[in-house]
Amino acid sequence: MNQGGTTDTLTTLGTNSVEKYPVIDPSQAHASSYYASTSSAPISWTTHGANNYPRENGTVSTSTYHHDQQAELTSRSVQDGLNGAPVVSTSTSGAVNVQHDYNSYSTYQNTDPYGYGNTGYASYYNNYQQQTSQPYQPPVGAYQNSGAPYQPLSSFQNTGSYAGSASYSSTYYNPADYQTAGGYQSGVYSNQTNYWQEGQYATYSSQYPNYTPDSTTLYSSTPSAASSQYAHHYKQWADYYNQTQTEVSCAPGTENVSASGAPSLSSVPGGYPAANSQASAPYITSWRPESTSSELPAAQSGTVNGGVHDGHWKPAPAVFQNQNLNSVQHVQMPLETSSTYESFQNQQNHAHSQGHNLVYTATHQVPQSYQSSLQTVSQIAPQLDSRRASSKLQIPTNPRIASNLGLGFPKVEKDISASTAASKPAYISVSLTKPNEKVPSEDAADSILKPGMFPKSLCGYVERALARCKGDAQMVASQAVMKEIIMKATADGTLHTRDWDTEPLFPLPNADAANQEHILFSTPISSLPKSRSPSRRSKSRWEPISEEKVADKPPAAAAREPVKYGFWNKQHYTVGKTENKVDNWSNTKFSLPEQKSSNKNSFRPAKKQRLVDGLSAADNGDESSESDKEQTLTAYYSAAVALADSPEERKRRESRSKRFEKGHGNRAEINHFRQKSAGAGAGNLYTRRASALVHSRNFEDSGTKAVEDIDWDALTVKGTSQEIEKRYLRLTSAPDPVTVRPEEVLEKALLMVQNSEKNYLYKCDQLKSIRQDLTVQHICNELTVKVYETHARLAIEVGDLPEFNQCQSQLKTLYAEGIRGCHLEFAAYNLLCVILHSNNNRDLLSVMSRLSADARKNDAVKHALAVRSAVTSGNYVLFFRLYKTAPNLSTLLMDLYVEKMRYAAVKCMSRSYRPTIPVAYISQVLGFGNASPTTEASDEKERDGVEECAEWLKAHGACLSNDNAGEMLLDTKVSMSSLYMPEPEDAVSHGDANLAVDDFLARNPV
Amino acid sequence: MAGAYMMSMGEAHRRILEYLNRFSDAVSTQDGKSLSRLLSISSDSHHLLSLADALNTFQDANRLIRQSEEYSQYADILLPIFRALQSYRLRNLVESYQAFEKASNAFIQEFRNWDSAWALEALYVLAYEIRVLAEKADIELASNGKTPEKLKGAGSLLMKVFSTLAGKGPKRVGALYVTCQLFKTYFKLGTVHLCRSVIRSIETARIFDFEEFPVRDKVTYMYYTGRLEVYNENFPAADHKLSYALSHCDARKEANIRMILKYLIPVKLSIGILPHAQLLENYNLNEYSNIVLALKRGDLRLLRHALQEHEDRFLRSGVYLVLEKLELQVYQRLLKKIHIIQKQKDPNKAHQIKLEIIVKAMKWLEMDMDVDEVECIMSILIYKNLVKGYFAHKSKVVVLSKQDPFPKLNGKPVSS
Repeated sequence: MNQGGTTDTLTTLGTNSVEKYPVIDPSQAHASSYYASTSSAPISWTTHGANNYPRENGTVSTSTYHHDQQAELTSRSVQDGLNGAPVVSTSTSGAVNVQHDYNSYSTYQNTDPYGYGNTGYASYYNNYQQQTSQPYQPPVGAYQNSGAPYQPLSSFQNTGSYAGSASYSSTYYNPADYQTAGGYQSGVYSNQTNYWQEGQYATYSSQYPNYTPDSTTLYSSTPSAASSQYAHHYKQWADYYNQTQTEVSCAPGTENVSASGAPSLSSVPGGYPAANSQASAPYITSWRPESTSSELPAAQSGTVNGGVHDGHWKPAPAVFQNQNLNSVQHVQMPLETSSTYESFQNQQNHAHSQGHNLVYTATHQVPQSYQSSLQTVSQIAPQLDSRRASSKLQIPTNPRIASNLGLGFPKVEKDISASTAASKPAYISVSLTKPNEKVPSEDAADSILKPGMFPKSLCGYVERALARCKGDAQMVASQAVMKEIIMKATADGTLHTRDWDTEPLFPLPNADAANQEHILFSTPISSLPKSRSPSRRSKSRWEPISEEKVADKPPAAAAREPVKYGFWNKQHYTVGKTENKVDNWSNTKFSLPEQKSSNKNSFRPAKKQRLVDGLSAADNGDESSESDKEQTLTAYYSAAVALADSPEERKRRESRSKRFEKGHGNRAEINHFRQKSAGAGAGNLYTRRASALVHSRNFEDSGTKAVEDIDWDALTVKGTSQEIEKRYLRLTSAPDPVTVRPEEVLEKALLMVQNSEKNYLYKCDQLKSIRQDLTVQHICNELTVKVYETHARLAIEVGDLPEFNQCQSQLKTLYAEGIRGCHLEFAAYNLLCVILHSNNNRDLLSVMSRLSADARKNDAVKHALAVRSAVTSGNYVLFFRLYKTAPNLSTLLMDLYVEKMRYAAVKCMSRSYRPTIPVAYISQVLGFGNASPTTEASDEKERDGVEECAEWLKAHGACLSNDNAGEMLLDTKVSMSSLYMPEPEDAVSHGDANLAVDDFLARNPV
Repeated sequence: MAGAYMMSMGEAHRRILEYLNRFSDAVSTQDGKSLSRLLSISSDSHHLLSLADALNTFQDANRLIRQSEEYSQYADILLPIFRALQSYRLRNLVESYQAFEKASNAFIQEFRNWDSAWALEALYVLAYEIRVLAEKADIELASNGKTPEKLKGAGSLLMKVFSTLAGKGPKRVGALYVTCQLFKTYFKLGTVHLCRSVIRSIETARIFDFEEFPVRDKVTYMYYTGRLEVYNENFPAADHKLSYALSHCDARKEANIRMILKYLIPVKLSIGILPHAQLLENYNLNEYSNIVLALKRGDLRLLRHALQEHEDRFLRSGVYLVLEKLELQVYQRLLKKIHIIQKQKDPNKAHQIKLEIIVKAMKWLEMDMDVDEVECIMSILIYKNLVKGYFAHKSKVVVLSKQDPFPKLNGKPVSS
């Protein structure tokens, strides 16, 4: 019966059908919006809901709406704090739709609890999103046909300019109106979304494969024939899409979008074959009608849109009803429809399949997914986008749109006229929202498809039942049980009469304690990759813009929105028939509240019941006739309004939003990632890493604290390599566990290096690779200290100061962490280094002041301190004595300063001694003749020292002479002016004397 | 505790509104002083304390702000200020700082748009609060075993504040105050090298005469730059700056004078100017008295002991190395004493001081030095022009110039 109705509308494509259809679109949008809220896990859900609510509610919206539409998403998220994660991820300025979609995504992921692989959902989602975007696009195409691509916008603007009705701003937007508007805009935006998706796919293609299997399993329930049909449709749709795109191209902005959109479409099929086909099916159906309509004149386009919507919509109701009666029948009905309406049929089929799933198997999942697709695409994009986008978009586009206004109006009118129909959708959407809350997702799906199908209380029941489940297995089991229960109820006709709220829950199949929904929701993981990818993309691409916008005009946008909407309402009024007007009105006012109330219903049984009554009534009306429907709807709405407007309700709403303000979004997101990482398993390093990265970025973006909240551990690697020898290569990407050595192997590697006969370059290379492996595995223990100490000593031995400094600074932090090692030895080295090579008094002071009393008692440290005082006072005698008695490797460090000290000493001597100084004395005082502390021991050595000293003095421009006894003397007076510091023989290309002095590597190749 | 006092909702509401009113009044009447009072979170003023209590009672201040356009235009400042106040009241200092940082950023944004410099006073308070809150937050972080990093953040935030003032125009007067806050931050962080860019901006700007800055800021600035010169051992410059600070410092601010003297005295000592004992006593700088005494007596042992005794303090304040270098002056004094004694004994041979005599004197001072070392020190003394003359290695004799063998430094540093 419904099908017939739908077909009629389709066939006629005329005014009536057209009218209805536009309305339907809005409803869909609603549903989607609801969905988003529901889809997200309890937590995430609430956030979603909060988001939706603020937007929807006139009152709340002001704050939320402050931001411009596109910018809004990001800004909104930040401001609200509710959306937190989702917003961040979706922060695209332009692609509002996309963002919404993503939100829905995230929500879906959360909802996984239903036992279906999250991955499957995610893929599903993707498909759906695309699909949804496409459906909207068709409308766009239609609009474009009529006039400019921006017409939808223009229509919005018009509404804005006209906005006279205060009621709108103060109360709630007309869901229907909004949605319709959203639909139009969504068309425009949808292109963007596609674009977006493309990007996502490209980046995350690897992830998708995982999902496909799940999706297939999920969809397996749907008849194969249907899927094939869908694929077919999909193709058609793609064609259609292309056409529309070309058409749309008129406007510059749209052109880009359309172009991008086309690729995305193609990409979808490739990436997600299974999911796509299914997903595409719904699309196609919806599209097809549109495509036909697109060919029609502008007026027709409106109708076409309606048709499309019907495709989504009508089939669903039919299916649902059928399902109630018989699942098989439903399918057949859609098929019967004419070829032109094949698309519809497809949709119906799709709905059927989904409906089936819902009823019998994982009712929740299927509906949800379906809804999600609808919602994500249609609802989210249209609603949010339309509202915000409209506010923002309108501004920019106004000049262009002005001309289009005329065109836009007709459409609007149609929509309005369709308002009756619209009311239906709104209603549906409401019902959907209820399901959304949790398990009710089923209901939501059902409601979308078939308004009357499931009582809400049943949804609540199912929800409750599923909420108890702890694991997937349990969930599947309880789903089976529920299937049976529901089938039974359907069979004996008590489905609607039974009080599901009071119905006792069946015992848990696995005898598990009741589970919290939260857990269930949190468990889903798969969706993450997608959400992530969008977020990233959005940021990179859109963020700057969005930021600007936000900064520019938060308050203005907010102020404007209500006005626009009000305008809309007015239009509706004038245009629509009296009846329609009324309906519209009620719808507009109440649709949003309804959603909320529905959500609440899930929480509170009593309210639910009321709503349920309303619903059932509406359903009945649906079946009977359109006018009846309207009436029932109005009644329902009024009830809903009453609910929503009650102070209680408001308070609750407020408190809820507050709850989420406190960084809920962030946490939710984190949960996502955690789950994901958990789900990905240990092996999936890259995803985990990516998630962590996204985290960090999100945190940065949202300007929130808690870098420490990031799971950096996710970035660590557990090595598996057994190679003892490994060349050092600076990492340019994430480390591969296969090439990283675990700790035991590293220990062996260190031993190998220590015992190696090879030269320093080899050892340095090996040690660096060991250090790298330690670092990437976050190994911070005594082995680490040992490695750095070994390297530091080696570096000192060859005078490789830069390397030594690196090791030294690492050691400093390692020692500070309390890891034991040769801490005092290195304290002395450090002191020497500062004294001799940094020449920075402040550093020296800080190093000295940090020495503990204990440290000062250490010989090495004492020595270093003595060296310091010798150096600062210029006491060369003391310095070279200390040089000879240096412990450990201090000699080697001092070596690097010897040249300077000697030169200063000789300068000083030649200035103060007269007339001569024996070279032997200089040699003795300045430590020539090498090392051995007791120079007297061997005359030979002393003589060597004198010769060496003489050479050194000559090299530095000193004037030597021999006295009568043949003793070599330094002529101080002459030397005073002739002394110079010779250029190092192996000057470094930089011309940096320090470098040359220090670069022992070049001088003493090992 | 005022915290125990439960405020009624209405009272809380009233207080918050009063604050909001005062804020918007201060802004609209361009009353910088009142505005500054509203921002000084850590001042523990009664008004702000009770406001914090009110905020803790009445949680939805957000709504109050959003209620009217008058307040909501400053919501970006007010909201975080409220949060900062609340957190400060609850001794949650890290959060308080974070919120205040947000408020500061919003305030700076707003401040940029105000053409005149009326809000300078408020900006001063802001800069001060940024630093003080960050310091407190760091203490809290450190006590929780976390890395104290807020002061670092405060440094960059203050740099941002500085950049809003450093250009031309009437706001430039405030630049020096912020510079001083930056100095304090950097000195505390031990990143004094970062001061350089700020100093350059202050000292190279020809458009604004340094003397036009407020005295208070000038003194602070000179104090810090003087300290920097002490680190660099650029004593004449350090002397100049610190002396400027001393002479312009309010005589009643004894603590400030003492801080200046802490650096000025070592600087003066190292250029050969000894302080009056009374000065050290008046400002409780007794750690220097033995050093001064050692310089007067040529008592190396006393100097070393004095240094060792206050090593920690000197190391922390950064004058240790400066004081250590006074050793050469002590040697000079010792040599001079020996010379005087010799002159009394035998004026003809007085200009030749045998090395062994000096070594004996060292022994007498319980300084363990052999001939070579003493010879080296004599060489250095001559090289640094603290002693005029030469050293004859063969005869191991210091031959002093007959004219002014021990030149006074007279305000010049020891040549290097």
